[in-house]
Amino acid sequence: MMWKDKYKIGVELIDRQHQELFGRVSNFLQAVQSEGHWEEKLEHVKSTMEFMQNYVVEHFEAEEEFQREINFPEYENHKQVHDDFRATVNDYAETFAQEGFNQELVQEFGAKLMTWLIMHVAAADQRIGAFVRKQGGIHP
Amino acid sequence: MKAAYIQPFYKATRDVFRIMMDVEVKRGELRLAKDLIPSKEANVIIGTTGDLSGSILYSFPKDMTLTMVKIMSGMELKELDSFVLSALGEVANIISGNAMTYLNSENYRCDISPPHVMLGATQSLSMATDVALVIPMLSPIGDFDINVSLRETNE
Repeated sequence: MMWKDKYKIGVELIDRQHQELFGRVSNFLQAVQSEGHWEEKLEHVKSTMEFMQNYVVEHFEAEEEFQREINFPEYENHKQVHDDFRATVNDYAETFAQEGFNQELVQEFGAKLMTWLIMHVAAADQRIGAFVRKQGGIHP
Repeated sequence: MKAAYIQPFYKATRDVFRIMMDVEVKRGELRLAKDLIPSKEANVIIGTTGDLSGSILYSFPKDMTLTMVKIMSGMELKELDSFVLSALGEVANIISGNAMTYLNSENYRCDISPPHVMLGATQSLSMATDVALVIPMLSPIGDFDINVSLRETNE
């Protein structure tokens, strides 16, 4: 996944975290799609998935905290979108834990994660940046 | 089947391709089809319920599908595997969801079902639908079709 400057919302903390998140999801996707037998690369897939998942949680919490600090008017809606996606990630994690890391299912999970993240950062999160600019910047 | 249902799908497709891939799409000449016909290799079908019931069929060429997912993932891809097809299904899902938002603002309340991905061009899906309107979409990375077959449930 390529990070693009157009994804920036103009808030340094959030932009830095988004960039990190894109990097971790990219590493996970590369592990999933790399050449070789699934069984042989499974350990690498699992570790990159865990590394990425932890950061999804960390980032959502930090972004929600920032939204509360600036009194972002769309906070509730935005949090609901995060909660829905947290639930999707947890559902996949549970399935993998119970039924094993089926290759096709892990690929499907990777595809959902990638498309969701691009659309969320490139569209929904831009509204945070627009609000901050409308308020004339961040007032600590 | 009204042509008025078409504009929300065109607008949503144009927006999503721009936001997710930086690709500009244009609309070709609308045509009528007797049924939903997958004209190209990678197909996504999405059902709708509510005020408008029916199906939307997105039909993409193989090379274009690989290019789309390459643009999003930054990875070289050769096969229409589960990763590529799931990503295509999600793009169609996001487009349909955005089209529903536009239709909601015109007072049509509708929901969509999860995307179903199918490989291969076939004769017809025989969804027992009415006629379908085919929106040919043109882009620098390939041309694809969006087939829209919707009926107002209170008609």
